[in-house]
Amino acid sequence: MALLNILEFPDPRLRTVAEPVTVFDGALSQLIDDMFETMYEAPGIGLAATQVDVHKRLIVIDVSEARDEPLVFINPQVEVLDAALDEYDEGCLSVPGFYETVQRPQHVRVTAQDRNGESFVMEPQGLLAVCIQHEIDHLDGKLFVDYLSSLKRTRIRKKLEKQHRLRA
Amino acid sequence: MPARGQQDCRAAAATALARVIAGGEALDTPLAEALAEVDTRDQGLLQQLCYGCLRHYHRLDGIISGFLDKPLKRRDTDIHALLLIGLHQLLDLRIPDHAAISSSVEACRRLGKPWATRLVNGVLRRCLRESASLESGLSDSQRHSHPVWLLEELQKSWPQHWQQLVTANNQHPPMCLRCNSQRTGREAYLARLRETDIEAEPCALAATGIRLAQAADVTTLPGFTDGDVSIQDEAAQLAAMLLDAQPGERILDACAAPGGKACHVIESQPALAELVAMDSDTARLARVEDNLARLQLPAALVCGDAGAPPAELEDASFDRILVDAPCSGSGVIRRHPDIKLLRRREDIAGLAKQQLRILGGLWPLLKPGGRLLYVTCSVLPAENADLVAHFLDTQLDASSLPIDADWGVASGVGRQLLSSADGCDGLYYALLEKQA
Repeated sequence: MALLNILEFPDPRLRTVAEPVTVFDGALSQLIDDMFETMYEAPGIGLAATQVDVHKRLIVIDVSEARDEPLVFINPQVEVLDAALDEYDEGCLSVPGFYETVQRPQHVRVTAQDRNGESFVMEPQGLLAVCIQHEIDHLDGKLFVDYLSSLKRTRIRKKLEKQHRLRA
Repeated sequence: MPARGQQDCRAAAATALARVIAGGEALDTPLAEALAEVDTRDQGLLQQLCYGCLRHYHRLDGIISGFLDKPLKRRDTDIHALLLIGLHQLLDLRIPDHAAISSSVEACRRLGKPWATRLVNGVLRRCLRESASLESGLSDSQRHSHPVWLLEELQKSWPQHWQQLVTANNQHPPMCLRCNSQRTGREAYLARLRETDIEAEPCALAATGIRLAQAADVTTLPGFTDGDVSIQDEAAQLAAMLLDAQPGERILDACAAPGGKACHVIESQPALAELVAMDSDTARLARVEDNLARLQLPAALVCGDAGAPPAELEDASFDRILVDAPCSGSGVIRRHPDIKLLRRREDIAGLAKQQLRILGGLWPLLKPGGRLLYVTCSVLPAENADLVAHFLDTQLDASSLPIDADWGVASGVGRQLLSSADGCDGLYYALLEKQA
């Protein structure tokens, strides 16, 4: 097990579109375990492979309070079942310290594979639905700040860039 | 996505405190909202941090301000609060130094203000380095953690006792119970507490009072939901004794919410003709209703202004009236430390005006020969002895009855309880009689 480094906005690598996972082997399993460890330590409820600079279509999620319901989604596809939008104050481990309201479809169907390559279907609601869509965005090189006004996005980018300079 | 379900304890405390410090809100609502956000395991610490930082606000703020080149912006009051929280942990709580500092620094990030991490880290580490001399430059107001005006008022009003008051105001209050004499005797209830391993002793002044060695969750108290006991400070339990309601009498509790004293009056005299509990606020009146229901006690509820009572309350229709008047709360600061920040010197004159208006509004409702018990939880004579003396000057059919007691101090008209480290809250009582 190892903690992975989480890329932070506006790192250009976060804009990479991830490739589908084709090989389900021990190395993939190891990556999944490392991603869970990284996510729990953050602490987070969801992490996409893109955020740890691995450009494969893989996300890990655990929205439970007890942190004991880990979910893995490999090559996930989302289908919107109800176009009605829900608002949620989203944050992102790659945009630390910032929370903004984002609207997303509240009812979706997700088709994905587990760590053994088995397919499954899920119809998440509430926070889980929000989180899955947020993480899948990462696989397409997209961030929640893209939903905000350019003014807000620029403000966040400048603040984070300043922090990165101070840290360097 | 980051975990958000459970807010960080220090960040939640800082947010709640900022609403009191900059927003002028009473602590109750911000604290309740913060408690709902944090892990149940952190709720105790959250309360301790909020109450502690307000209790020691002027002292902590005096130290912190000396270390800031310029004051923080108003919108960054949460960061200022975080500095107070960090320092309170370093000076007053048994939390290891490194944990106190790192948790406060981490809370900056949780508040979405990562720019403040260096500031918080720097100031708290400096406090640690200079801990020996931190308090040397403080003013009296800061050293005693009281606003200047209140300290001056206390020194002026109670030249013999102000230090005792100030010390008591800065302490954690005891938790007291009132036994429901309709359901249980005090000795019997003390025995039940012993069986449940809750350490307690009888109160010295109130015959129904029990003082717990440390605060307990009410749900752990035997028979609480059945109404065997209620939470009430010893000082407040003297009201029913002084009112001394007799069988068949009609009683008005004119500012009844949350209903503790009204319930006590009925518990001590179940053969009343009627008790009318009035309050001006319907939401607070609902709490009176809840308390009466838990204790299974009967009372008529009326929503109305004690200064201009509704017509349904007829003149000369009450044998006794209890007035627990709205006041500064300067006698219960240890229970409500936000009072130190929220009250201003200029509030007192307005409160006194309202208290006088209430006395004037209620007096006609009293039968000739009837008695009115005036109560405040204030230690300021302007709301107490001076005010009642002024009322007696203008209300010619009113006279003051001596309160023959071994507690408190006689202070002109009425009797003043002064809070002390081991004692009860600082309540004021005056008993008035209408000419027959």
